[in-house]
Amino acid sequence: MLRLVVAVTVGRLAGFLSRLIGRGGSAIPGLIAEMLDSRVIDKLVASIPGGVVVVTGTNGKTTTTKMLVTALERSGTPVLTNPSGSNLARGVATVLISASRRGRILGYEMAVLEIDEAAVSALASRLAPRLVVVTNLARDQLDRYGELETTAGHVGVAVASAKRAVLNADDPAVAALDVGRTTWFGAVDGIRRTMPHDRLLYGTSDPEDPAAKADVVLELAEQDGDGQRIRLAIAGAVLDATLRVPGAYNGYNAAAAVGAAVELGVEPAVAASSLEEMPAAFGRGQVIEFEGRRVNLLLVKNPSGFNQALRLLTDAPAPTQVLIAINDNHADGRDVSWLWDVRFEDLEGSGHTFGTSGIRAADMALRLKYGGIESWTDPDLGTALRRTAAAAAEGDLVYVVPTYTAMLSMLELLLPGAARSEMWT
Amino acid sequence: MDVSEVVIAHLFPRRMNIYGDTGNVITLSRRLEWRSIPYRVDLVPVGADYDLLNADIVVAGGGEDTSQIEVARDVVQRSENLRAAVDAGVAFLVVCGTYQLFGLRFIAADGSELPGIGVFDAETVSGEGRIIGNVIVESDWGRLVGFENHGGRTMLAAGQAALGTVIKGNGNNDITDEEGAVTNNCFGTYLHGSVLPKNPQFADELLIRGMARRHGPVILEPLDDEQELAAAHSAAGRP
Repeated sequence: MLRLVVAVTVGRLAGFLSRLIGRGGSAIPGLIAEMLDSRVIDKLVASIPGGVVVVTGTNGKTTTTKMLVTALERSGTPVLTNPSGSNLARGVATVLISASRRGRILGYEMAVLEIDEAAVSALASRLAPRLVVVTNLARDQLDRYGELETTAGHVGVAVASAKRAVLNADDPAVAALDVGRTTWFGAVDGIRRTMPHDRLLYGTSDPEDPAAKADVVLELAEQDGDGQRIRLAIAGAVLDATLRVPGAYNGYNAAAAVGAAVELGVEPAVAASSLEEMPAAFGRGQVIEFEGRRVNLLLVKNPSGFNQALRLLTDAPAPTQVLIAINDNHADGRDVSWLWDVRFEDLEGSGHTFGTSGIRAADMALRLKYGGIESWTDPDLGTALRRTAAAAAEGDLVYVVPTYTAMLSMLELLLPGAARSEMWT
Repeated sequence: MDVSEVVIAHLFPRRMNIYGDTGNVITLSRRLEWRSIPYRVDLVPVGADYDLLNADIVVAGGGEDTSQIEVARDVVQRSENLRAAVDAGVAFLVVCGTYQLFGLRFIAADGSELPGIGVFDAETVSGEGRIIGNVIVESDWGRLVGFENHGGRTMLAAGQAALGTVIKGNGNNDITDEEGAVTNNCFGTYLHGSVLPKNPQFADELLIRGMARRHGPVILEPLDDEQELAAAHSAAGRP
């Protein structure tokens, strides 16, 4: 206990000093505390009465986590959660430390933590999760994550270690992780077919039937303003909700969150209605006012996520201003080859105007050229953003589609100070 | 058969396409389209019955380890046809995993051996750690820029021509400065990125060589490659 308290105290002090000297957003408290007590995470989570829920997967972690936290809080459960930028061990340790007093977590009934899919196997044994939610598994930045099978292996370890799981019945890579004790979420055929999973994109050629009969079924996902109307069928009940985030993929996230919430004892109707309150997570379908225009920030990290974003663009009224910002920093993935797996050809003749920006703007412009789409290029994110807004009419919705670090820079331009809270550990 | 149409065969389009290698097919197609040259793309999945002598240009990419074993079996099964096509002058671009299978053998980390078809006098050994990063290669077709991500180390035998010399990155292995291999019109490389979009002169070289066999001597109309070269320039400056 003494060791834990020392570790936590020194970690905090280091974080305080780091902020004092202006190094800000850092995982230093968690990093230092883990050096002094390698079991700091295990010990702190043991003091959370309702245990830990882990949300992992390739796409939709942040939104699903936020939805689940909202549902639990709405039903009166105080929940500790982490910003998406701190979903590795040291970030999780930092979050736990900041919520602790004398070696115990105080004031929270439960923790809902988003965990990076590559870090989740090592962290699961330390977090001893009561529930693991897996949104989907798709090929991601290969220079960071390696092959999809490697990632599936990591997530499989976490699922097997948990008491219960909430799994995507429509994604065969996720469904294969089932070891019983599973609540399944999925969608009706019409929606499922619009979300081709990776085995369809890269592997076996035939569309398969869902691996399991879903307990929570997304029956409707229909765009409505900047968001959408969805319908979920769960345990014989049909629940309607209006989400503030667009896209069928967010309908899937809602199904996952509601499945998890119900599994944790939340009334289905409460879980569904809480979705309506939830604003978009940073950069994930978030609409921000900028110079009289509305900017929809759609983070993209991999082909499957980008293809989903493209569906929103094909549905947008022409002409819409679209800015794609591609960086190749470590957190974005240094290899931009994956842009060639995104079906930009679907946007040929869309009537939209495309701009490209970011460190690899030229690669993006070239990809669009071979997709039959003309674009203008300005590597500077600020001037590119202003040019995009200026080209739209007052009040119009414009789309900004950035990779991770480009998204953080865009947020800083759109909402000065906001990116720091995404990054604070 | 209508030989006025240029035929691009895409081998293992799903199994061997993890680093955007489809971009190579898109590039060849568009560069023909922009010159008003009729073409078609034949998709040749694992196990498909297909005579590669009916193609002008054959393209294949890299895959995950599990796919590689299945693809290796298929490559060995069509080895006679593959070698006949290479001998006949069909142009090939084989990237990463398929490039390895076009050598003599691939030796996995556990010592087990996957036989290759020996188009290249080369051998690949699974190595410690992956080689990852942007690559610049000096070749007979100018400077080539791409991204490599491979665990295998390929050694060329003496007398086997390389695609080029590495200026930045590792290429075939972390010992020699060679990248890729060339036999007749068959080009093997570790470059993804995809490789052809950012190296238009290399893309056109493949088209010229591939078309020469059935479409007579070919002169390709020049295209405006400003965006291609801009992307190559920006990639060359990245780690």
